Amino acid sequence: MTSRKRFHQPSVLPGFGLTFGFTTFFLSALVLLPLAALVTMAGSMHWGDFVHVVTSARALGSYRLSFGASALAAGINLVFGFILAWSLVRYEFPARKLIDALIDMPFALPTAVSGIALTSVFAQNGWIGRYLALAGIQVAYTWIGVTVALTLIGMPFMVRTLQPALIEVQRDLEDAAETLGAGRAYVLRRIILPTVLPAMLTGFTLAFARAVGEYGSVIFIAGNLPMKTEITPLLIVIHLQEFDYRGAAALGAVMLVMSFIVLLTINLIHAWGHRRMVASAR
Amino acid sequence: MSITLDQVTKRYQDSTVVNDVSLDIGDGEFFVLLGPSGSGKSTLLRAIAGLTGVDHGRVALHGRDVTHLAARERGVGLVFQNYALFRHMSVADNIEFALRVRRMRAADRRARRRELLRLVALEGMDERLPAELSGGQQQRVAVARALAHKPDVLLLDEPFGALDAKIREELRRTIRQVQRELGITTLLVTHDQEEAFALADRIGIMNLGRLLEMGRPDDLYARPATRFVATFLGAANLMLARQSVRGVSLGSDALLAPRFDSLHPVREHEVVAVLRPEEIEIAPTRDALSSTFMADGVVGEILFCGALERLRVRLSDAATGAHVLRSDDGGEGPFLEVTRTQHDQRRFPVAPGLEVTLGVRRLHVLPTPLSSFTACAASEELAQALTREPLLNELATRMKTRIAVDIDAALGSPAAESSASEGPAILGAAVIAAQPGARQCIERLLQRGAEEVLVLPDNAAAPRRVLIHWADETARRATLAVSASLLRHLSAEAVYVGILPREGHASAPRPMGMRALLDARSEAQAVHGFDMRTELRFGEVARELALRLGESQAQLLVLGISDAADLERRFATLVANPGWPLLVVYQPGTTARAYGRPRTTDLLRLA
Repeated sequence: MTSRKRFHQPSVLPGFGLTFGFTTFFLSALVLLPLAALVTMAGSMHWGDFVHVVTSARALGSYRLSFGASALAAGINLVFGFILAWSLVRYEFPARKLIDALIDMPFALPTAVSGIALTSVFAQNGWIGRYLALAGIQVAYTWIGVTVALTLIGMPFMVRTLQPALIEVQRDLEDAAETLGAGRAYVLRRIILPTVLPAMLTGFTLAFARAVGEYGSVIFIAGNLPMKTEITPLLIVIHLQEFDYRGAAALGAVMLVMSFIVLLTINLIHAWGHRRMVASAR
Repeated sequence: MSITLDQVTKRYQDSTVVNDVSLDIGDGEFFVLLGPSGSGKSTLLRAIAGLTGVDHGRVALHGRDVTHLAARERGVGLVFQNYALFRHMSVADNIEFALRVRRMRAADRRARRRELLRLVALEGMDERLPAELSGGQQQRVAVARALAHKPDVLLLDEPFGALDAKIREELRRTIRQVQRELGITTLLVTHDQEEAFALADRIGIMNLGRLLEMGRPDDLYARPATRFVATFLGAANLMLARQSVRGVSLGSDALLAPRFDSLHPVREHEVVAVLRPEEIEIAPTRDALSSTFMADGVVGEILFCGALERLRVRLSDAATGAHVLRSDDGGEGPFLEVTRTQHDQRRFPVAPGLEVTLGVRRLHVLPTPLSSFTACAASEELAQALTREPLLNELATRMKTRIAVDIDAALGSPAAESSASEGPAILGAAVIAAQPGARQCIERLLQRGAEEVLVLPDNAAAPRRVLIHWADETARRATLAVSASLLRHLSAEAVYVGILPREGHASAPRPMGMRALLDARSEAQAVHGFDMRTELRFGEVARELALRLGESQAQLLVLGISDAADLERRFATLVANPGWPLLVVYQPGTTARAYGRPRTTDLLRLA
């Protein structure tokens, strides 16, 4: 009785039972059950086979690329997404609405299309690629290309998360800091960044998560050389094409666990920062 | 002087948010800038802090011109309405922020922080986060933070706005105490007059971007110079009264202020009288009054407000001619607000509907020349149409005054030399529509005793700039007085246009050009407390004025004359049928063809 009471606290809003029921149902049907199936399938392998598949040199290389490039892309987005969101929130310029709309394009575009587009631009004879080639930098078919694709895919997540947070930053705070003698860089470092840090973390998480799962756009620009430019999702597809469902499931389970650890860590940092900062401005 | 503002002006697009504000705040003074929201007071504060640039004018702190310095170089402390504490920092970090920026040693920082926390009575709160403090405590932290770097001046922007009454009073006391202890020059911005009274050494009152009046709180309350200040600072009944040699009366024979310190005898004319609710006495009969009898009335509603009782009393006899100007709530009929103490209530308890006699203990007459408006036209319809003119309505509403109607057939055929008999004297400013023959209409109205004639084109927009010019020095004072009165109710910029004959043009005697310009400006400032800019042009007067008026939209011309014949002689083309609002101010000199009477402003000079 008492435990039930604690679980379902009386609320002014009716419908808790109904909404909680739906939440459980959808989470189970769409997230938990398929994941459980994945783990089960991977679990039905022999331990030795499992270890062999997930620790093969090719698999290890793909993990490095998938997670490394994703983290790098999310990191790039952290910086440039911030600048983008800042200029959209703080300044008035002619094409502001247009640029604001363009931000969402990577959301809407089929990822394969963005992959093809990027490849044509960054290939050695592409618009940008030919100049980079002169400088000795090859983008397409290298890990750099993978990072570029993942950055594009993650960008809207960062910008859209940061925008409302930046709008919320009270001008008064900056004004106060300025009257107290702080210069612009100091205000940015000590006042603005700490204030929007939670949103930046969230944006980073989303961009990272999206990048880890990305497949379509990467396979075109990556060139897919084993050990070098092969991402884990591609490796899974390769296993599938060889009808090695269990191998695919094993790799999937590893990705699942690693992603989960990364996301959980970020969320914990987030929650810790949230507690340290403030529940709400007012 | 700690803070010196010189003709500070700030514009946002079309509107002038801060309009020619000049102000001197002395060392260690607590100055309160009071005004309704949107009056430009916060913008002015931000301009002083350096957070907003100014479009015109100068800001100086301790004699140092800081107009072009960034906020961080000005050395001011600023406290915001919403505290603006850094929420991710502890109280200690917030307070030490300015010291950290200045790279002060940690031990010194700690010592200074302790001192400040003691000052605002928050000892031991160092490690709390702002979210863990109450609103009042947060604002105390904000005050301490603003004082950390020992600023020369402390600026407070509605610091008590978000707090409830009890805490507000407590914090008010703290701030006053801190201010006294540190002897720091303080400028506080608020819309709360009670706060202003409680804190201020001096109060400045802003409206429509203009600093209307400033002075000691008691002085401003007892002797306001403008309607706005009279009604904004405390409650006030504004009435149109008649002033004559015998004193001030409300239309009836009853004299309210028999011993009026007039400088010389005057003919009867209209003035605006201020009656504070607490200066009105109510009694059962005329004999029971201990003050001067004013009128009879019937008690309307009664509101009990603790220490005071607030009554609305309807003047029962409209025939007294007393005209109560509408107060903000715009209640029906001529109501007077009266407040009584408990003591008075016990001596003479009243109930709604009771007939009472009203007496007045003290009366203040505003030195404003524009008391009311009279729409003058040849027919009833034309006059009614004129009363609906947007600009006239806006002015009347802001001045809280009435628009009377006057039908004068002679205005219909102005071309015919006005042989028609003189009508009754016109009270207040006369208003006519702009039409061909406007000049003859103006002359006719001046003949009938009008001292100001406002000529309005159809649907004239509210002016953004008021041009001021007088034909000769005799008209200067009156023109300035009327301009000041007008500008207090418009958010327009004032420009005095001085016009000199061209070089080598020997026909006109050349006045002392620049000198006259500066004199005009300083007189406007000293006598009327309003600031204007000055321009000097060369050429033929009417032509130059017409050119100036053609330069931009939404302008109004105030034209001062002392000789009615000048209208025809010098300004005929200008006033024939003006396409912009024109206000003619008539101040007859001794030798000129005199229609009018001596002006109120001659009698009542501002201190």
